[in-house]
Amino acid sequence: MSGHHISSAKFLWGVAISLFMLTFITVAVTWVAIPEPWNVVVAIAIAVVKAIIVSAFFMNLYWDTKFHSMLFVLSIVFFLLFIGITLLDTLYRTDPIPSF
Amino acid sequence: MSKPSALEEKLDHLQHHFIDSDQQFEASKMGMWVFLVTEILFFGGLFVAYIAYRAWYPDLYLLASTELDTFWGAVNTAVLIGSSLTVAMAIRSAQLNQIKGLIINLYITIGLACVFMVIKYFEYAHKFEKGILPGSYYSYEGIAHEKANIFFSIYYMMTGLHGVHVLVGIGLMIWLVIKAKKKVFHSGYYTPVEITGLYWHLVDIIWIFLFPLLYLID
Repeated sequence: MSGHHISSAKFLWGVAISLFMLTFITVAVTWVAIPEPWNVVVAIAIAVVKAIIVSAFFMNLYWDTKFHSMLFVLSIVFFLLFIGITLLDTLYRTDPIPSF
Repeated sequence: MSKPSALEEKLDHLQHHFIDSDQQFEASKMGMWVFLVTEILFFGGLFVAYIAYRAWYPDLYLLASTELDTFWGAVNTAVLIGSSLTVAMAIRSAQLNQIKGLIINLYITIGLACVFMVIKYFEYAHKFEKGILPGSYYSYEGIAHEKANIFFSIYYMMTGLHGVHVLVGIGLMIWLVIKAKKKVFHSGYYTPVEITGLYWHLVDIIWIFLFPLLYLID
């Protein structure tokens, strides 16, 4: 059954340790002065890797039906659309925002 | 499903409108994933506010995030990852019929979630004392930017909504412990544990993004 994958305790610990290490790395890269846009890119890239690890191996998407992965990915796609369309407005205003 | 012992299996949990336990399990899990999609878009609105204002006031974010303590943010990240591990262990225990292990792992998860909330409480209390409050209640003088209150409105909304989710998670975990003690769960039925686990991992994922976006800007 696709929904009943049982991970070994060792494997789950391995996943958690890799997440702890990535957390350390994401803090450690702020000690190195990375120039402006790239520090954000690196921070988000590490967060995305961590999110993929959590969703694939803790939320079992790796062993699950592809339908659940599709739901998850589609929510991200619509979220990116949300960001994109909002920025098309906010980035190109001549007068940013009046009072708030 | 055509095991000879099928008749002896505990089937109290099976609702009459499902063919078997697996179908019921899969239906519940799909429902939870659909809910998680709405959760992502729910938090998405706040992330969009964060991005739009960061594009307008990049220097504000650099200044204001120095008020956030990276150390405690990192500790809380580790606490939540640890709690994700124990939830995954709880599900594994349920799958293996180890009800004692399930209850112990749920207790550890509840403990870690409480640690997270206590740290969050001290972070908030420290800011409230300084007058760092959201919106028009903001009265702190230490940040040389006229829009400083905006960063903290976004901070309180994002971490506050996340905190509410952690509290809901604690409630759900307590409910699972009560059910587990009543011997409701076994290897053939642990759907609520699995589904609460999915919720808890999503709360973890959201914090994984909040931590670098709020604490690690400077």
